[in-house]
Amino acid sequence: MTKILVVEDEQYQRELYALELKDEGYDVDQAANGKDAVELVKTNKYDLVILDIRMPEMDGIEALGKILSRDKKIPIIIYTAYSNYKSNFMTWTADAYVTKSSNLDELKNKIKEVLENRSKSK
Amino acid sequence: MKKRTMFVQVAFYLPDIVFLYMLYLSYKKNIPLNDFEFLIGLIICAVIKLFLHFSGFYYFFVRRIHNLSKNIQNLKQGKFVLPDMEFFGGGYLSDIHDEIVDLGKHLLKMTNSQKDEIDKYREVYNNIIYSSNSYFLVVNAQYEVLFVNKTFCSEFEFSQQALSGRKIKEVFLGQNDVLWNSVESVKKTGNEIILQKITLFANCRSMVFDIKISRVVVQGESQIVMVMENITDRIRKEYQISLINQITESIQRDEEIDRILFSILTAVTSGSGLGFNRAMLFTYNDELGEISGKMAVGPDSFEEAIQIWGAVQNENVDMVTRVSSYKVTSGIRGGRFYSDVVSSRFPVSSGNILVKCMTELHPKHVYDSWNDPEVDEEFRKFIDVREFVAVPLVAGNKALGVIVADNRFNNTPISRENIELLSIFAMQAAFSMESFTHLSSLKEQMEKIKSRQSAIVESEKMAAVGRIAAHIAHEIRNPLATMGLYAKRILQTIAKGQKNIDSIKHGADVIKLEVERLEKILSNVMDFTRLDTYIKEYHSINDVAEDTYNLLKNLFQERKITADIRLAEDLPLVKSDFNQLKQVMLNLIQNAMDASGENGLVQIETGLKDSKVYFAVKDTGKGISPENLSKLFEPFFTTKTNGVGLGLAVCKKIVTDHGGEILARNKEYGGAEFIVEFPVT
Repeated sequence: MTKILVVEDEQYQRELYALELKDEGYDVDQAANGKDAVELVKTNKYDLVILDIRMPEMDGIEALGKILSRDKKIPIIIYTAYSNYKSNFMTWTADAYVTKSSNLDELKNKIKEVLENRSKSK
Repeated sequence: MKKRTMFVQVAFYLPDIVFLYMLYLSYKKNIPLNDFEFLIGLIICAVIKLFLHFSGFYYFFVRRIHNLSKNIQNLKQGKFVLPDMEFFGGGYLSDIHDEIVDLGKHLLKMTNSQKDEIDKYREVYNNIIYSSNSYFLVVNAQYEVLFVNKTFCSEFEFSQQALSGRKIKEVFLGQNDVLWNSVESVKKTGNEIILQKITLFANCRSMVFDIKISRVVVQGESQIVMVMENITDRIRKEYQISLINQITESIQRDEEIDRILFSILTAVTSGSGLGFNRAMLFTYNDELGEISGKMAVGPDSFEEAIQIWGAVQNENVDMVTRVSSYKVTSGIRGGRFYSDVVSSRFPVSSGNILVKCMTELHPKHVYDSWNDPEVDEEFRKFIDVREFVAVPLVAGNKALGVIVADNRFNNTPISRENIELLSIFAMQAAFSMESFTHLSSLKEQMEKIKSRQSAIVESEKMAAVGRIAAHIAHEIRNPLATMGLYAKRILQTIAKGQKNIDSIKHGADVIKLEVERLEKILSNVMDFTRLDTYIKEYHSINDVAEDTYNLLKNLFQERKITADIRLAEDLPLVKSDFNQLKQVMLNLIQNAMDASGENGLVQIETGLKDSKVYFAVKDTGKGISPENLSKLFEPFFTTKTNGVGLGLAVCKKIVTDHGGEILARNKEYGGAEFIVEFPVT
């Protein structure tokens, strides 16, 4: 089963993503900040990481760097309320950049897209 | 004298001899004299002797005494050369007489030698007065010149003969009312008067004097003595210095270049400046390749010249003040001379005297323009004067123009000194013109930089607005996204017909919480924008600090943070809104507590520095990153996850509304420091 790590400090959002993604058939882990996420990545093998940017302790950008420095191949989607970083996301080497909204369809489609691309390139 | 005396003595004994001879004759011829005849002879002899005796007494005694007294009288009257009178008989009186005559000679010698001495002194004094640097002028009660010294004559080029006897008002032209009134008053009262800075105009020369007027009475008649000190040079130098100062000031004050140039030309033509009759300024136009008249100062006619000179000294106003009241629009007289100069154009190709002066970068002194081959026909007609001087305005290595000056109305020869002075003024003019051009281009550059800067500032502002907008968007998007997600979730639950009330309730709770969060954000924003009314009274900043600390005391204990409070005594009060200042301090101290963290230290300090009351809050945290320092006080900027980013922005607004300043910096040994300063009112 495809295993996804959701990193999000907003508790209600995180819980809901987990529910929705489980409904989609994914195995979902949760982390409330970048630091926890980096720890989880060390001990678990994830097929995909969904990263918020603004979080306490360690923000998403720092976490992105740390996760990629451990495992360059792990697919990562930035999912944030900031819309103004979108044009710069390529420099962060995340696979995709999705702006938060009340509609999760965009995120779900991106997850599928990213996973398909990865499996094709393998 | 001796012979005469002898003769007189012989004459005196002559009757005795005749009588004795007759006695002898009678005795010899044996005709004896009877007693009667002898007695008669004796009596005749006695009478003759008496006669001789008395006439001799008169002649030898009375006359001599008379003569003696006459000579004494002569001596008394100072006639030391005495007539050598005949003194018969010698003797005591004649010795006295001789002594008197000798005394006379002696006295004569003495007085002669004294007179020599007096003459010598008189000569010395005369020489001093005559050749003194001061000017001496003595007039009688009718104001006719009795005496002038050499200095006066040579300075005004008069001969002494030509002056003596002339009325003084005819010597000095123009209306020297101050002088005439003073002379009148001195003549009447005899009280000495000293006049300062009096301009006298005589024989086509004008000079400035300090004049001391006093009265002497000679043989019952009043004479007025005027001792004059020529201060023209001093005045001129003072004037030149003040003019140079004025020009420098003008440049600093950024006044019109025309005004500066006009004051230079005025200086060139003013009596206290260089004293030229006329001055013209020509400037070189590179594009048109010609030299054109720019401005001119000077009278149109001789009558006007006299009038101006008279007016100047009557006003007794220094040129500088006159010039400084000049306005370009009203100051330039539109006389014929002025308009002639301003409308003149000389192409560079003509190679006339001005062009030569400019290309050679050297003054041109033309003594006789009618015959000087360097002066072409056109310029000769234009300038219409025999002698003139042209001085280039040199800046760097090129000439910007030419100043031409002449003495058209009094025909005074142009001295080398005047040309040198004119060159100095020309240098000033050139310097002014160049500085002005530089200043103008500098200003242009400054304007460009300014506009570029304001563009940068504008774009910075836009960037800040962008950041603020992004922050607001982020702040709002998060709760909105959550609310939307949960609303959908609820709808889905209902659509599926599931009766999971808990799930629906949870969703509604989340939505409620997020709505509250949104409301809080909005009210923060509104609070921030609403901050503009204050109740300002005089408060001690220490009171504010203590009050704020008391509010936070428990929190300090709870979070195990040490507060180090140092309040300076006797601080001036600050006109302020107590609660708003408390808000500022509260924000800063709470920020410091967050930064220092558990077991940290927060320092609170008040004081007076550079006549500003300040309070400072220092923490022991990580400090502020350089890129954040500039954004710190921007609304919605925050490094905290649970903050809106308005705390410091609010602080800044309150502080600036109080006329104060807030700054943040990193301490040398870690941690940040926030300082709030208020001016002491």
